[in-house]
Amino acid sequence: MRPPRWIGVVLVAGFLLAGCGTCGTGPGGVRQTSVLTVAIGVDPDTLDPMRQTTTTVANIVQMVVEALGRVDQTGKVQPNLATAWQEAPDAMSWTFTLRAGLRFSDGTPFDAAAVKTNLDRSLDPTSVCPNCGALTHAVKSVDVIDPGHVRLTMSMPLAADVLLGLISTTPYSMLSPRTIQKGTPGYTQQEQPVGTGPYALKQRVKGDHVMLARNDDYWGRRPAFAEQLFRVVPDIATREALVRSGQAQVTLLPPVSDIPSLQKDATVRVLLASGDRSVFFALDTVDKQQPLLQNVQVRQALNYAINRDAIVKSTLFGAADVASAPMASSVFGYCQVPNPYQYNPDQARSLLQKANATGLTINLVAPTGRYLQDFQAAQNVANDLRAIGVNVQGPRTMDWPSYVGTVVVPSAKASVDGHMLGWAPQYLDASQAMQIFDPSQMPPRGLATSYYDNGTVTGLLQKALVEPNRDTRAQEYCEAEKQVWNDAPWIFLWVQKFPIVYSATVTGIGSVPTESFYTVYAQPA
Amino acid sequence: MLSYVGRRLLAAIPTLWGVATAVFIMARLLPGDPARVIAGVLATQDQVDRLRWQLGLDQPLPVQYLDFLGRLVRLDLGTSAHYGDSVTGEIASRLPYTAELAFAALAIAVVVGVLGGAAAALRRNTAIDLAISAVSVVGISMPTYWLGLMLIIVFAIQLRVLPAAGADSPAGIVLPALTLGLLSVGLIARMTRSSLLEVLGQDYVRTARAKGVPPSRVVLAHALRNALVPIVTAAGLQLGALMGGAVVTETVFGWPGVGRLLLDSIFSRDYPMVQGLVLLFAVTYILVNLLVDLLYVAIDPRVRYI
Repeated sequence: MRPPRWIGVVLVAGFLLAGCGTCGTGPGGVRQTSVLTVAIGVDPDTLDPMRQTTTTVANIVQMVVEALGRVDQTGKVQPNLATAWQEAPDAMSWTFTLRAGLRFSDGTPFDAAAVKTNLDRSLDPTSVCPNCGALTHAVKSVDVIDPGHVRLTMSMPLAADVLLGLISTTPYSMLSPRTIQKGTPGYTQQEQPVGTGPYALKQRVKGDHVMLARNDDYWGRRPAFAEQLFRVVPDIATREALVRSGQAQVTLLPPVSDIPSLQKDATVRVLLASGDRSVFFALDTVDKQQPLLQNVQVRQALNYAINRDAIVKSTLFGAADVASAPMASSVFGYCQVPNPYQYNPDQARSLLQKANATGLTINLVAPTGRYLQDFQAAQNVANDLRAIGVNVQGPRTMDWPSYVGTVVVPSAKASVDGHMLGWAPQYLDASQAMQIFDPSQMPPRGLATSYYDNGTVTGLLQKALVEPNRDTRAQEYCEAEKQVWNDAPWIFLWVQKFPIVYSATVTGIGSVPTESFYTVYAQPA
Repeated sequence: MLSYVGRRLLAAIPTLWGVATAVFIMARLLPGDPARVIAGVLATQDQVDRLRWQLGLDQPLPVQYLDFLGRLVRLDLGTSAHYGDSVTGEIASRLPYTAELAFAALAIAVVVGVLGGAAAALRRNTAIDLAISAVSVVGISMPTYWLGLMLIIVFAIQLRVLPAAGADSPAGIVLPALTLGLLSVGLIARMTRSSLLEVLGQDYVRTARAKGVPPSRVVLAHALRNALVPIVTAAGLQLGALMGGAVVTETVFGWPGVGRLLLDSIFSRDYPMVQGLVLLFAVTYILVNLLVDLLYVAIDPRVRYI
């Protein structure tokens, strides 16, 4: 049989057709310098500032909307839409002076009435505002004094750092009042936020990208890039590929194991930004199945068993700082404990012996992909515990909703002896960082999942929440931290960093230690 | 013919009801509280409770089930717990991306698969046949995830000619469609090869050749058309498999289709969205099967539906 010639013809035509997807369009994704492309891992659930629960999404929203204050790179609150604030001598009211002459990007004037509309919305008990925090029950009313001044009347006093820290977070950002009138759908959920920020929302394609365009009427410094494109790329390896191929200039959270090779790549820069997320194994301190964990000596023994330096070096590739207190050093109120748990397996063994806990059996769980190298590091921790003779079952792992359903449960329903968590306050103040040791925050009310209850610590936390003097406050938190550290309700591990990789073609990529990135003033290198 | 289609569609209703019930139960068997997941771990219990009430999750399961079926009859899939929009609207905005991807992938699979399979059949037991068979087996066995990353490394990082992610430039579809399409090439090529070989051995093919019909016409008009029925079946089933493969491919390439939406919705315990998407996949399967059956009529005049 002779070879039918048509097959060759069709084959060639087929490949030409298939290859033609690329003709005429040029190298896609490679954009002109007026657009900064940032690869992010999460698809925004909502762009409503009030409904934010994800830092990455909140970072994007913050470029569009601004709050009365602004947390700077050291964690301090600086003037933003408010130029000054004054606390009444009895601490029962606060007056904010507003920046004059501003307009929202839809032309609506920014004034005290706009602030009232926004704060009333966020503080409305029927609003969904998961991160509104203590202000929801501490603020009695918001009143317009005159167009340039607004007053918050308190029903309970709050420490200045707490109030100013909270009021500077995304849930209290200012939207154009026109878009959030009470009774309109925008009041309950606002997906087209219009603010005063350096950028305005231009386009959003769910699952694909959020595009911001420069707000040319911005009151502050003008950003360099005309547009910023936030591309949703859930796959960690693809995010890295985007920056390596020049199709994105910035990528958040690349694979940690690639950090050494990225650091050698001359075309990219690696920023291991400091964070505020403490990673730890919470121990069940009232454990019924494993009552030995109720013993402080046993919990201290577990802490001495962990070779944190080795795990950070070999499993986290340096992207963490070993814990030196129950919270991160970037948080106000941090103080270094005098007796860090140095790796000492012999001491760990002897503590277990003293506590009659040799042959201790515990079961552990850890999430996968929630924190840097979480499950891998959990396996290291388990091995270190085995090395001192603890019989460790697990670690088991599961997807995040199942995990939360397993570990964030009231004490009576607890089924595991130790679980890995990472806890990061949203504003850099100990009040939020330490609430995880407050017994009133035990599940189902909060995240105090080690069921730790120490009257001294609770008292110090309550005092510090309202203490007006900054130094006294810091001292109270310091005392609480030392006590918690000594009681070891956790196996303290490390404070993870926030890795950002960006192209050598841009500069001005920054971050705030609240696991936030900051690209507003990025510019071509 | 029309009454046949009508009967098939009617018969689909119990299937869909079964799927709806199964997915309703399975979603609720997953551990994890959707209200807590949506509100975030920082939310207070009051906020979680209010959300649970808003989502109707405080109702007993039978009430939730009847409510779900009642809405379903009115083609109302409810409100997404994660996005806060209507499930139908959300799916409608994401479905075109997956449809585009699945059809592009199917086109690649069919063109390359049928041509490769035909070449292998016509060149049976030669090096060409062996090479095509080898490539088919590799294609069938290769994990989508790995293939996608390899394509990204070659075409996006090394050659810098194609985007690694995103759906906003026309070239963005090339790599995901190739990844997804190559998955099915092997199967269709092997199906074409065996089906064509069988037909090429038939008496009427020998007769056609004997009476002097040109070889290209023998292959195209006599052999390939008769060999098409199993190929069309395989291609139809592949379209279903492609919808499933889209879950992985869309995640690797950041493609905003319904496959990734399903994955995100499972992780956020968005019951209404998961239910809506699984039903959508079921409807797609049912419709594709029906379409394949109807195509038989066009391909093979002996097939008649009354």
